[in-house]
Amino acid sequence: MKALLIDDERLARSELRRLLAKHPDIAIVGEAANSDDARLRIAELVPDLLFLDIQMPGDDGFALLESLDAPLPQVIFTTAYDEFALKAFEFNALDYLMKPVDPVRLAAALDRLRARAERPAGAPQFAERTARLAPEDKVFVREGERCWFVEVKSIRLMESEGNYTRVHFGDAQPQLFRSLNAMEERLDPKCFFRANRRQIINLAWIDRIEPWFSGGLLVHLKGGLKVELSRRQAQAFREQMSL
Amino acid sequence: MESVAIGNPPTADRGLRQKGRERLYVVCQVAGWAFFLMVQVLFTGLFKEKDSTGVEWAIFQTVAEGLLITHYARHWLTKWGWKELSWRPLIPRILGMAALLSVIWSAVGYGIYYGLLRFPWSSKFHPAAVLSVSLFNGLALMSSWLCIYFFYHLFDRYNRLQIEQLRLTTSVKEAELRALKSQINPHFIFNSLNSLRGLIDENPDRARQAVTQLANLLRYSLQSGQLETVPFEDELQTVNDYLALEQVRHEERLRVRLDIAPGALNLAIPPMLLQTLVENAVKYGIAPRREGGEIAIIARCERDELHLQVTNPGSLAAGGGSTGVGLRNAAERLRLLFGARATLDLREDPPGRVVAEVLVPIEKESGAAAREAVAARSQHDSVRSALRADKPQALRP
Repeated sequence: MKALLIDDERLARSELRRLLAKHPDIAIVGEAANSDDARLRIAELVPDLLFLDIQMPGDDGFALLESLDAPLPQVIFTTAYDEFALKAFEFNALDYLMKPVDPVRLAAALDRLRARAERPAGAPQFAERTARLAPEDKVFVREGERCWFVEVKSIRLMESEGNYTRVHFGDAQPQLFRSLNAMEERLDPKCFFRANRRQIINLAWIDRIEPWFSGGLLVHLKGGLKVELSRRQAQAFREQMSL
Repeated sequence: MESVAIGNPPTADRGLRQKGRERLYVVCQVAGWAFFLMVQVLFTGLFKEKDSTGVEWAIFQTVAEGLLITHYARHWLTKWGWKELSWRPLIPRILGMAALLSVIWSAVGYGIYYGLLRFPWSSKFHPAAVLSVSLFNGLALMSSWLCIYFFYHLFDRYNRLQIEQLRLTTSVKEAELRALKSQINPHFIFNSLNSLRGLIDENPDRARQAVTQLANLLRYSLQSGQLETVPFEDELQTVNDYLALEQVRHEERLRVRLDIAPGALNLAIPPMLLQTLVENAVKYGIAPRREGGEIAIIARCERDELHLQVTNPGSLAAGGGSTGVGLRNAAERLRLLFGARATLDLREDPPGRVVAEVLVPIEKESGAAAREAVAARSQHDSVRSALRADKPQALRP
């Protein structure tokens, strides 16, 4: 597994390097001292795993993740003591390590990672994936103090709000700093359908469909959301579904 | 940080207590008068005069009347706020109230019994004598009731005061603890420990030195919290330790310039004042900048004032997510110690450089006092000075 170490402190990076020497399956392909540096390295080296410090000069670790194009590499956060960041983690099973890093905890985090990496059998490896997001891929979303790694398949609905997209999943609906059009380009048309100018629905989340005014359709999503399709879109929808 | 209002129990709790007390009152009122009724019935049964018609009715009426009168009296006692009075003003009020209630009690009692129900006068005594005995009985009965009632309330209030007192003590202690905890930023401590571990293999000598510096810093922040002022020299020493540790973390990104007038070293300043300013400078001036920058610490004695300046690259407009808590606390401590004679001021001068400036009045005695207080402190400090003496002076000017 190719790993990239992102931390503004040289000593912190070298300490992590030393700890990771005990895990030969983790190959450290590079280091970065800030988010700009990290973006270049990620594009260049295509790592499978990031060790990511949260507080850094310039963009912090969360901002870096937000700016990355999905699919994201696996991420293990490293942080010293940051109440704000830890709060963000409470909502999720995001993996994080407290500095100074406990070797036992590091080993446990890597074990979880290996287990996760094996799960989607037959799924293409990260580096070989196409530009389209697979259902198992994750997107990083942050709103206020909360952060999520959302699996694409668990997203029910995306709604355009200007340059932002509101993403509905679980019981949350945070905003993503991407336009709906940009999101549409990345989504698999077999799984997602552009219901109207403002909304994209996940076909897997459709509960039932009823005829609506003037040849349109009303789609009920599991979890209670309703989406209207105009006649033209209903037509396209019927065509796609009958195939 | 989440703050909990201390000293005011939540309203739901208060409502619940109110309900409980209402129930207790009803039980006591009914049970008390029922007991009184039983005693009355028992005694009249034992000493019944031969020819006493309507005695049972009289007893029942007496008790029912007492129950109702005291019940309504309670309403007025609450309304007049007697429950909040202490026992001294209560005693005359209880007597007066008991007299009034007993008059009402007797008047209504005899009125109904002889006037309304027209029972024949059965006593061999003169009505005036009977009435005065009745009034006296009423007075005893009503004052007993009032005494029991207010005794409960006084006791209850005493209990509540005790609890309030405890809550207050706890909250003061909590505040002290919070202040103590906030003196050194935990983020800094853990980051330092992390870099220190990285340093152990790379440069064992520097690592050993950094452990000493971290120990000095922690000890100072724990001990100085109890002092009003410390000699500026001690504070500067701590700041040097702190900056040396930050340099381990930030390496060439953090550059330091010290310009200290020798006369300033003996002056008294509040502990952690300079440390707070320097920590802020690192947090907002160095940590967020990729290229880092220089922090300058300048101390001068001018007229009767100590001028302290800490400058760092940055701009005030950016803010950088500062909550200003550290500086506010520092300003508050200055105000408590020196009143309006001390100032703390944060400005951008020239543009791109943030200056934190403190003016502290020079009080020769207090400086000397601080020195003596430090000298008088126990063994910890001789250990501390010993550690300090053999420590390399990495950042001395």
